[in-house]
Amino acid sequence: MDDDPLDEPLRAAAREYHRPPDPPREAMWREIERARRLDRARRPAPRRWLPWAAGAAAAAVLALGIGIGRLSQRGPQPPVAVGADWSASPRVNQTAYRLATVEHLGQSEAFLTLFRTSVRSGSQERLASATARELLATNRLLLDSPAAQDRRMRLLLQDLELVLAEIAQLTPDAPSGDRELIREGIERGGVLTRLRTVVPPGATPTRGAL
Amino acid sequence: MDDRELIGRVLAGDARAEREMYDAHVDRVFRLVYRMVGDTHRAQDYTQEAFIKAFRRLADFRGDSALSTWLCAIAISVTLNGLRTLKRAREREVGLDEAPALGARTVEADPDLKVRMRRAIDGLPDGYRTVFVMHDVEGYTHEEIATALGVQPGTSKAQLFRARARLREALADFARE
Repeated sequence: MDDDPLDEPLRAAAREYHRPPDPPREAMWREIERARRLDRARRPAPRRWLPWAAGAAAAAVLALGIGIGRLSQRGPQPPVAVGADWSASPRVNQTAYRLATVEHLGQSEAFLTLFRTSVRSGSQERLASATARELLATNRLLLDSPAAQDRRMRLLLQDLELVLAEIAQLTPDAPSGDRELIREGIERGGVLTRLRTVVPPGATPTRGAL
Repeated sequence: MDDRELIGRVLAGDARAEREMYDAHVDRVFRLVYRMVGDTHRAQDYTQEAFIKAFRRLADFRGDSALSTWLCAIAISVTLNGLRTLKRAREREVGLDEAPALGARTVEADPDLKVRMRRAIDGLPDGYRTVFVMHDVEGYTHEEIATALGVQPGTSKAQLFRARARLREALADFARE
């Protein structure tokens, strides 16, 4: 059937069908690279992830413990015994998660503010990716916790995860364009504004340096 | 460097190898996608999506066909899905706003051959159009088309035959000139 081609004038007209322009190679590559960075950040890497995930888990448990401890000192009720089943008290549980979440969001807000400033000033902060990984671990724990049951909070944590994952993937020799793209992502999603809406004034943490 | 070595480097997490693979194939993939959609922005979106999917699924590539053919298969799948979604959206819009105009024959000056050809190709069913564009416009072989579309080479040949027949019929007045 290949030997039954269209007549030459028709073939010539067919070759003009949607004649392609030059491909926008770099523009397409930027989007592909961005997606791939996120893929790599989301991919589990047990050997590297576990030590600081364990640290973050310990920090989250500590924050919960502090929250429970504070609550147990209020009011006439007897103090919560060590080893007591605190999960049996939904109100205490929710308050503790809220405290841990506010703490995390405050740290993230401070971190992203400093990151944005460093991008604008063109300085290369080597510790940015390390801090981002640490915050990312806590963020993932919170996403899996009752703190994420609130839809607005879950969306904020999800958007924050994307930004932190991108920064976590930055290498010291990453082109400045990569940092600029992340900064644009932060601006576009209104991530900082939303963080500031959630974090009460005065809750800005001491930990948050790049 | 052969495909196997490049694939190995990509699977090992070498970001430079991803760029090399992209550079080696992007022109061909974009050309094909553009021929199918005729719009730069959509062609850009579908090409990007095809490469992202390809990198994600690269571990599943068995090497039964050339890497370029496998990439084209993904690109065609992404493109046809995108076009179907677009078509459904347009049909909904037409259903709401322009239903009375459907089926009305437009009377206009006889357009030139290129325009008539474009309309005739646009009017082909998706299967015929894909095979016609891949074979007669972009120069793929029936074996490549069959692999990319997951059909037998004979099916590809039959669809090309029917596509050409429809185009001859639609452009009969030009054929007679």
